[in-house]
Amino acid sequence: MSHITGAIQDVANNILSYSKGPSPVEVLPGAVDQCGHANKIQKQPTWGEIAPLLETADVKIRVADLLSRYPVAQGALLEVLWVAQDAIGWLPHEAIRWAADICQCSAPHAYGVSTFYTMYKHAPTGRFLLQFCHNISCHLRGAESMLQYARRVLDLKPGETTKDGLFTIVEVECLAACGNAPAMIVNDDFATNVENGELTLKPGECLTPERLDKILQWCRDRAAKYPKEPPREVLGGMVKGHGGHPGAPGATAKPQVSDYAPPSPVLGVNALVDDNGATLTWKGAPEFTEITVEKNTNGTWTEVGKPGVKDKQFVDPEGKIGDEYRMIAVSGTRTAKPSQVCKAKAAPPPPPPPEAPAAAPATAKKAG
Amino acid sequence: MSNHYNMPHLPTAKSPRVTIEVDGQNVEVPGDTNLLEALKAVGIETPHVCYHPYLPVSGNCRQCLVETEGPRGKALIISCFTPVKEGMKISTPRSSERVKNARAAVSEFMLLNHPLDCPICDKAGECTLQENYVEAGKDTSRLFPEVGKNYHGNPDHQFYDTKGQLRGGKRVDIGPRIFLDEERCVQCDRCVRFMRDVAGDEQLQLALRADKTYITTFPGRKLDHEYDLCVTDVCPTGAMTAKYFRFQQRVWMLSRTATISMDDSLGANIWLDHNNGYIWRVMPRCNPEVNRTWISNTSRLAFQQFTKDRLPVGNLDALKKALEGEGKIAFVLGGSATNEDAAALKTLVNKLGNRAEVFVGTFAPVGTPDGLSKSGDPVANRAGFALFGFTQTAEDLAKRASEFKTLVSLSADLWGSDASKAKALEVISDRISISAKNDETAKKSSTVYGVNHWSEVSGTMVNVNSILQKLNAAPTSPDAELAPLFSVLFALAGEDVTSAAIAFKKAGEFAPKLAKLSFDAIHSTGELLDGDAAV
Amino acid sequence: MQDSMKVCTGNFGKHAQSIEAYKKLGGYSTISKSLFEMSQFEVIDRVQRAGLRGRGGAGFPTGMKWSFVPRNTGKPVYIVVNADEGEGGTYKDHFLLLEDPHRLIEGLIIAGWALGARTAYIYARGEFLPCIESVNKALNEAYAAGYLGENIMGTKFSFDIFVHRGAGAYICGEETALINSLEGQKGQPRLKPPFPAVAGAWASPTCVNNVETIMSLPWIFSHPVEEYTKMGTPRAHGTKVFCVSGDVKRPGLYEAPLGTPLMEMLTSEEYCQGIIGNLKGVIPGGSSCPPLLPEECQNATLDYECMASLKTMFGSGAIIVFNDTHNAVDILDVLGHFYSHESCGQCTPCREGTGFAKRVLDSIMRGEGHDGDIELLQGISAGFGGTTICPLSISLGGPLNVYTRKYRADFEEYIAKNPNHAEPRLRPTVRLGAYW
Repeated sequence: MSHITGAIQDVANNILSYSKGPSPVEVLPGAVDQCGHANKIQKQPTWGEIAPLLETADVKIRVADLLSRYPVAQGALLEVLWVAQDAIGWLPHEAIRWAADICQCSAPHAYGVSTFYTMYKHAPTGRFLLQFCHNISCHLRGAESMLQYARRVLDLKPGETTKDGLFTIVEVECLAACGNAPAMIVNDDFATNVENGELTLKPGECLTPERLDKILQWCRDRAAKYPKEPPREVLGGMVKGHGGHPGAPGATAKPQVSDYAPPSPVLGVNALVDDNGATLTWKGAPEFTEITVEKNTNGTWTEVGKPGVKDKQFVDPEGKIGDEYRMIAVSGTRTAKPSQVCKAKAAPPPPPPPEAPAAAPATAKKAG
Repeated sequence: MSNHYNMPHLPTAKSPRVTIEVDGQNVEVPGDTNLLEALKAVGIETPHVCYHPYLPVSGNCRQCLVETEGPRGKALIISCFTPVKEGMKISTPRSSERVKNARAAVSEFMLLNHPLDCPICDKAGECTLQENYVEAGKDTSRLFPEVGKNYHGNPDHQFYDTKGQLRGGKRVDIGPRIFLDEERCVQCDRCVRFMRDVAGDEQLQLALRADKTYITTFPGRKLDHEYDLCVTDVCPTGAMTAKYFRFQQRVWMLSRTATISMDDSLGANIWLDHNNGYIWRVMPRCNPEVNRTWISNTSRLAFQQFTKDRLPVGNLDALKKALEGEGKIAFVLGGSATNEDAAALKTLVNKLGNRAEVFVGTFAPVGTPDGLSKSGDPVANRAGFALFGFTQTAEDLAKRASEFKTLVSLSADLWGSDASKAKALEVISDRISISAKNDETAKKSSTVYGVNHWSEVSGTMVNVNSILQKLNAAPTSPDAELAPLFSVLFALAGEDVTSAAIAFKKAGEFAPKLAKLSFDAIHSTGELLDGDAAV
Repeated sequence: MQDSMKVCTGNFGKHAQSIEAYKKLGGYSTISKSLFEMSQFEVIDRVQRAGLRGRGGAGFPTGMKWSFVPRNTGKPVYIVVNADEGEGGTYKDHFLLLEDPHRLIEGLIIAGWALGARTAYIYARGEFLPCIESVNKALNEAYAAGYLGENIMGTKFSFDIFVHRGAGAYICGEETALINSLEGQKGQPRLKPPFPAVAGAWASPTCVNNVETIMSLPWIFSHPVEEYTKMGTPRAHGTKVFCVSGDVKRPGLYEAPLGTPLMEMLTSEEYCQGIIGNLKGVIPGGSSCPPLLPEECQNATLDYECMASLKTMFGSGAIIVFNDTHNAVDILDVLGHFYSHESCGQCTPCREGTGFAKRVLDSIMRGEGHDGDIELLQGISAGFGGTTICPLSISLGGPLNVYTRKYRADFEEYIAKNPNHAEPRLRPTVRLGAYW
């Protein structure tokens, strides 16, 4: 190996030094710094600003209730994000981090989740979020013109909020109100009309410009009546009396006992006797691991075989007409009740007789 | 992202063999692995983007489709997720037009919203998309200007370029060591899985959904982890690029030397990528038994110091003279010394007789294994030194320092590791340093002699799991006069050994375990030494 | 159809939301000694004999699905009710939850008994807050009445039901995506196997059923099996709640036996009372199903097999009718926007391809279409076939293929609006084939 270009020996201090080799390239400013942001950047509040909204007794109770429902705390993530959004009105980054801490998952995970779902708001909206469906059924019934009408009336461009901070319009995908197409949601309520001061969604009643005007008026009246939107349980109200998920923090529930239900009987045993003896057929269940066939000999039941569960036939070569059979199935550690007793009958002759003596299957007792 | 509990099962030499039918021919493949690995084992490469042998299977790129024949007819399946079963019938593009079309379609979809900036992309030349497109792609484009592109990117980083096209974030400073190009990301999820499941610190996540998906850290946080540069390795595209290597070299200009990172006793397998006499980057080299495909930032970026502060070749006669006379000599063998260096030292010590004692390592503390590419012990070749009976440590020397008259530190930076502990050694009057670097110890020494750095020497080392691994010399020595440590030591002992192979043979004389092996036959992934079970 | 024969919607319009009203209408009659004396197997057997098929879209037999759930694994079994309906045209679950929440609870108790579940989750989509309120109110009443909680009615059986509010993702209707969402992850479908019946939510056996499926159970268990099997076709028993929307005089929810002729549904007085304008096409099972032309509609019956024979799908029973004032390009563009918006972003073909199709359709809509765009759309559709984890890409791929064939004239008309439509597109100049 020859001497490397650029390496010179500094004799004075006994050190080799170099003039070339890897060196960092000057970093240009980011593209957005040069070209400008395409989208508005949402200013994020600090934790101190939102903490008073999230660290309330009410939120604590709700979060504790949510955490008790899931075996893994992360299961409550969606719900906790809802609670945070409800408390603040939208989801600032610090609130997402708060939810992640509660649900014991990483903050980036919670951020990914919160952006995946479209109903989490990452920027504040107007007091009334008008969600217009523009999916196929609503589109067929004139959703586009309804949207345009709403925009015109409210003087809004897509993504904007009215100056008074009341209305924001968004186009959403199917709202599952296609029978009322075109349909919309005002905040959390489906609405195609206003009756007696309430938003209503009656079967077959669709949105028209007049009804939309009524709905907008309802919103304005409400804004005048209540300076702040009255609180509404974001998860549809607390349910009292549940024990939570067994093992979850705060849960009182215990796991299901495995023998809560009566053991399974074998159903529909049918025995037909022909030259080969008695052939037993039955309707088993895939849950069984073993089946025992028993025969009544002089009043006592004796085992005549274990046919397994895969093939649904058992032949008792000794079987005669009038013999009584029953079956006992085992599923895991549980043994079933014996099936009903089945009396062996003569098998029908090979060509189907005009009136086959359809052996009434010894079905289990009828329920209901 | 969903199934992060299924790590792929990789085939080994002991895998049971099963016979499957590939394109109408019976092929014997390893039976305990997935189809992709099984086909690879018999030389059929399946293009893939999201699959990585040491990451959980995510199955989202859909590039590795093959066709199977099942009870419900023929179906396309992803080979990375499907376990091999005896007798299964597989069609690859060679026999199935459907697979060919499907792979071409996936390739087209993958590149639809991917910028065509290969000429300025650092990944060009080793980009998975390029490889796949050449192999499986269509030869014509259907992406018409009217249809346009929809670049992926964080809405906060999007901008309109001079043509009015909405673009994703470019050169986003995602962390202290990494730049992110959001447009180039193909959402394969590899980096997310690496950080979550391998590094154990979920710092990255895909945000939004559909064709707006983009990769991000938590807003306002930086990607910062001891292993974060591994995401640039696993990234199949140029989305994640290492700042230190950005725009330094075209990858096709680089030559690679396979060697071992001698800063830790696990002995992470690495590639030294060099060109024009310089190392430009260090990449992990796959070794299933050692570091898999991971390497820590410390080991990776250490190369930046390799050529700095080097000692020039000294005067061998002066060195010889310093070792003459009476009084005990303490040799301190640094952790990065190879078995050959140890053999040379053994030769020299034997010649010097009772006067000389050997100590290994420095005062650097021994840490704990991190489970990836580090065992925590900075004395890389401690197991190798033990083969020669070198087990006394620098701490032992510090206790008995007054017994010695001469201290010879061999690539061991005693003062640099812990100056306060090394103070005890200052009672030794004559201090000699034979080392690559002009380190603290060299500065404390009266006589210095420059040798090759470990990246510039061939040799062997034994890692903490008793695997004998081979170092190869990268042609990056700053001075042709510099010689490996072992040849200097042999020269002091009066022998002329310049080849590592010969030195290895000599090592066999002292360490019987090494005698059974031939230097040239050592496998690139190392040899497990007899009688030692891998831990 | 008489209300008494309506399996799911019998209580509609009767203000059955409160437990008193519901019980007065015969509710909770199945939650009695006779149910608790039945074994798990007998319950499942009864559902199998009734021939109930899943109402979510795929039509898989419910009893068989339940029988796949392994017992005695040491892990809890979960029942998850899929109330994440979001397919264009489907809105039955919305009103089923709103009008008759107790029936769902009753059905869930039966299902819980059959599967040995301790915990059930109702996964309701985020927009269904009024429904969730209705269900939670019903749950409160059911807990107070002792139908839920520990040791129900003195048995060893304990059962809890929770409502999980989703947050806006159509793909969570796919069962593994729904399970992921329940676990607090993104709603992205999982690779299968393992199937949810073996390892679903929290790697435990999980059974995901549609709202309507669960709500059919109280009726099935309170009537003889023969009465249920008597309704419908030989291969699909019972009734189905049809959601009719689009250009009909009286859109709405109609429960009818399976096998009802399509035209009867659209024109009879009992149901929709006729079509507005001239019929152009009918989407029989929700927006992902290929449409039927008017001539195909004449003899079509509403059941799984007939729809399969017409190369479309019965789906969730969402019938969308459109007349000749609508253009197929327009409809397909809406679908393109929907599916590209709702793609979970996991598989490459779906993530990028649905958006690609949308942009091609947009360019045709803008009057920038070119000859060959129809083939391009069909080519994109071909790229979706069988290449993704879940069927969302095919939900767009099927319509892309069928609309462009059945309504080709519409597309040609739109493409002809571009004066330069016959000229070749501006092509990117790279042709790799020439070099490699």
